[in-house]
Amino acid sequence: MQKIDSVSRKLMLESLKHYAKENLPFDLLRKCDEENSFPAEKVKKMYKDLGINLLLIPQEYGGLASSTSDIYRVCAELARIDLGIATAIFATFLGSDPLNVGGTEEQKKYWFTKMARENLLVAYGATEADAGSDLIALKTRAEQIVKDGKITHYKINGSKMWISNGAIADLYTILALTPGGPSWFLVPKDTPGFTQLKHEDKHGIRLANTAGLCFEDVIVPAENLIGLKEGQGFLQAQAVFGYTRLMVGALALGAGQEAIENAIVYANNRVQAASPLSHKQGYMHKLIVPHYIKFEAARAFIDKIAKILDENNHGQATEGAIAKYYASRAANKAADDAIEAFGGFGYTKDFSVEKIKRDVKITCIYEGTSEIMEMTIYRGRWQEHLKTRGNFYLDMARKMEDIKEIDFGTKAIALGLKALSDILEECRLNRLTRHQYITFELGRLIANAEVAFNFVEKALSGKVVEGCPFNLETIKTMARINAKNVALDIATNGAKLVNSVLEKPTEKDFYISQITKECVGISKDMDALSIVLRDTFRN
Amino acid sequence: MDIIVCLKQVPNTAKVKMNQDGTLLRTGVPSILNPYDHFALAKALEIKKQTGGKIKVLSMGPTQASEVLRLALALGADESYLLCDRAFAGSDTWATSYALSCAIKKLAPYNLILCGQMAIDGDTAQTGPEIAGHLNIPQITFCTDVKIKNDILTATKLIEGGHQILEASLPVLITLTTPHNFILPYPSFTDIFKGQQKPLFTWTPKEIEADSSKLGLNGSPTRVSKIYPPAPKQKGQIFNLSSEDTASEIVKILQAKKVIK
Repeated sequence: MQKIDSVSRKLMLESLKHYAKENLPFDLLRKCDEENSFPAEKVKKMYKDLGINLLLIPQEYGGLASSTSDIYRVCAELARIDLGIATAIFATFLGSDPLNVGGTEEQKKYWFTKMARENLLVAYGATEADAGSDLIALKTRAEQIVKDGKITHYKINGSKMWISNGAIADLYTILALTPGGPSWFLVPKDTPGFTQLKHEDKHGIRLANTAGLCFEDVIVPAENLIGLKEGQGFLQAQAVFGYTRLMVGALALGAGQEAIENAIVYANNRVQAASPLSHKQGYMHKLIVPHYIKFEAARAFIDKIAKILDENNHGQATEGAIAKYYASRAANKAADDAIEAFGGFGYTKDFSVEKIKRDVKITCIYEGTSEIMEMTIYRGRWQEHLKTRGNFYLDMARKMEDIKEIDFGTKAIALGLKALSDILEECRLNRLTRHQYITFELGRLIANAEVAFNFVEKALSGKVVEGCPFNLETIKTMARINAKNVALDIATNGAKLVNSVLEKPTEKDFYISQITKECVGISKDMDALSIVLRDTFRN
Repeated sequence: MDIIVCLKQVPNTAKVKMNQDGTLLRTGVPSILNPYDHFALAKALEIKKQTGGKIKVLSMGPTQASEVLRLALALGADESYLLCDRAFAGSDTWATSYALSCAIKKLAPYNLILCGQMAIDGDTAQTGPEIAGHLNIPQITFCTDVKIKNDILTATKLIEGGHQILEASLPVLITLTTPHNFILPYPSFTDIFKGQQKPLFTWTPKEIEADSSKLGLNGSPTRVSKIYPPAPKQKGQIFNLSSEDTASEIVKILQAKKVIK
């Protein structure tokens, strides 16, 4: 089976950009945002004209069987157009995931062929009023209907909420509790007893339809049980968490980039006090440069995990959580600063940054809130810390210490990783993880450390990530600044975190003075990046 | 109808700025298919739809230039050929047109050669006509449309103040200029994937049997002494007068400059 190659990937992204330019101008997006409406015809046309919906469908059923690396690039580009539309399309990908992971060959053949031929919009229905991040509290039930000793149908009763494409999808994958446990079912939209509720009036992604679903004695054939085996629902859902959260990270990355690049173009053209804003050091150091450093760090991390998922198919739950958490927070801060960078203009609806700011908030919420991500990241890595007797981050630090090239921020990140290891150890010895807030904050420090470590490693590899607009020298500068900032954050906030719950201050210094010395040169590097950014995004 | 379309990968000049030394500031500038060539390809696809036959696309450039050939394959071209070798590097329009004409001879038989009016990075508009010269076939330049009926080609040529409608027998080379309202086509994801599986050949001077002394810098009679951006135009003079008085003022200025007596 032939895979999509890098040239095809690039051409697909170009086609997507041109399609959006012709069919989804900002005025239309703004109008839909104002009216809280989903441009169904435009999205259906996008399916028909571009075949974007075919990305996740296996080739044997008329699809393109894209890799995780393909999909994340498309997600990021879609988010640059509109995060609501991106969500609607992502929901179609997400909706077909349980089928992809757990469907029988016969089910895949029937449903995927139908999805490809009829350009179906799909929705993924897991969340309920009392079962959000805690899916175990699931209440929607699927009761067996038995005839002549054989299960012929299931009768579904219950309700769902916050379902993307909820009121407009053609096909739904629904999680319901069967006698054998949680299971996924395929439910076509016009099944009797199945009703779709009103489109929510949301803060952002107003172009994405979000609605509740109601099931009253909805009868579906037993063949619609994905995998034809009860009780596989959680396994099937969890198998793709790494993947789906990685995609939310990519969506955030795209939206954040769009906001900051718009701000740079504005800053290049806005002359105040005899020079463009993009030539002013404070403006660039504060509002622009830090965000692009984080975007490139996020891109390198997302790309790495996508490649691992391409090899292994599933897993990477902690890494997926890191990608989502890191990119969504970076994008939210960036969108906020983009408004600031535009001044009064940014606060009006005439400029897209205002909408992006509202839209991008969702990336910190759907597929698990940032706090759930912090817990997931902490739990995943706490186990590693214990299993390796504190060597998990020390091994990474040693790897960096062995590298002679200090130009890449290797020394700084090595110190940061050692500090992190010490902080985790202090938490273990003093049983500090009984405090939930500590676990959240550890999740944050871990995510930052791993993303920074990977960014330095990527720069050391001598290659830039596909789709990155910068050369290696710029990436190296970014990785260096990021490593220093992250190391300092780990040491200072880690120290604060530990001492905040201890009765007596810890004797550990978490390498603060050494890390502080490593911060020499950050300002000069930031100046160099300011020039690169204003030249790269001129118009 | 067998059609050959010549394509060039160019920097998106809409996004290019000049350095102070006159060279292009290429940071972050994406490469694209020359828009005039893109239009020529769109026309070729239109003709193929009516007449059937094959479209072969041809380009010269570094490996990266294969991207524009892949775009053409995705849009519906059947085969693609890239002239890629160090020997081609530094070619001016004369050496380029020689290399392309050698390749076209290898791609024969053909009925029609389509080129863009010019490349947006050089703006010479020389390569197309020179190919026709090397091949000793007729050419019509600056066309906005081209149609074929009963082996007769009808071209709509843009001229000052209007259009000329010209007929030509085949084979002929046409250079095309994009009408302002034309939306360049881009392929679907499915067609891009199908294009990935179509033939893409890389040729060196050996395959096209070119005389290497006529290629690259050695084969290029053009010497660039300096590149510089033109000086900005000075602000014009505005007359807030009646039409008659304005006309009189203009006459006086033209007389002073000895444009008229």
